[in-house]
Amino acid sequence: MPTHPRFGAVLLGLVGTLVTVPAEAQAGRLAQAQVLSLVLAAPSVLGVTITSGASQSIASLTDNAVNGFPSPVTILTNWNLNPGQTARVNLVAYFTTPSQALVGGATQIPSSRVLGRVTTGLPVTFTAISQGPVGGIGTAGGSLQLFSQAISGTNKVATRTDNLDLQLDLVGFPTLDPENYTGTLTLQAVTQ
Amino acid sequence: MLLVTRGIAGALALTLAAGTASAQVGLTSSPATVGLTATKASTLSVLPLINTATLASITDSSSANVFSPVTLTTAWNLKAGSSVDLVGWFATPTQALANGSDFIPSSQVEGRVGATAYAPFSNGATGGVGVANGSLVLFSQAVGAGTFKSSRSDQLDVRLNLAPSTSTIAGDYTGTLNLEAVVQ
Repeated sequence: MPTHPRFGAVLLGLVGTLVTVPAEAQAGRLAQAQVLSLVLAAPSVLGVTITSGASQSIASLTDNAVNGFPSPVTILTNWNLNPGQTARVNLVAYFTTPSQALVGGATQIPSSRVLGRVTTGLPVTFTAISQGPVGGIGTAGGSLQLFSQAISGTNKVATRTDNLDLQLDLVGFPTLDPENYTGTLTLQAVTQ
Repeated sequence: MLLVTRGIAGALALTLAAGTASAQVGLTSSPATVGLTATKASTLSVLPLINTATLASITDSSSANVFSPVTLTTAWNLKAGSSVDLVGWFATPTQALANGSDFIPSSQVEGRVGATAYAPFSNGATGGVGVANGSLVLFSQAVGAGTFKSSRSDQLDVRLNLAPSTSTIAGDYTGTLNLEAVVQ
């Protein structure tokens, strides 16, 4: 185990300035003051909240046509980041199993038939959710990057709201059986 | 005292390590999910190739009064049911065709699809489709697993059966035959 003077040196190496550690008391003698620094880092924050449109439905699908979901998904992304350690915040939408984005009975609709658009983000026109992961988030062939926000000192603590519009493109797709087709689209943010 | 100091130092070192790890590349949010539901409804349609059938000249007291044939396509995409029935019906059976105030009732109008025998439009409704005494089931196609999604094309023949002794007044007789499919 380190003696007291060596222990103080270890502390100085770890931190910087400010706190005095009482010296070991000995009668009639003052110990040399030791200086410690406390560095308290607030935890970084990154969140995604769907404020509306978390449940999307098309009441009546039309075969061989583009079917739009009637209302957008409104997404609030918030962060509190250190710009020295984070260059960008990316929002990614993805299906866990791209070949089965929506399933009804024995019929599977792949993610390439689900299109997304964020006019305030990257896919400003409807784009298939068939890209690869971003920063390790998403699935191969089942993802779409919705925005990439640069982080600087001026927006290190910020939020942004985006609308995600969704479509189901059945042009050229085999005639669907009468079913309810259901699926789950995951939204997740990641820093880079 | 030394032990107390070691305790403080340990706590400080731990705090430092946590702070360093919390802000960095690769930080991810918790996933949020959007539930997607899209419903495909059952469909059933009847589409005549043409919607007018004509008979140039009526022969009284005869069944040799055949209108020009009508080709029609019936298509369905179903989830359940045992048959697709095509029903032809006149809204007012006593006045299937009219020439002013002279009428030919639906009982003297006969229809068939394919090579089946002619039968008058004088039956009741089927599956809620048609009218009493003015309807005729033109076909009843069984459906089930494997045939819930299909179509068929038929030639509809319609004739006036004025035998044995019906005379008509000179003029144009016009009427509307409704064709409607129903799943049972």
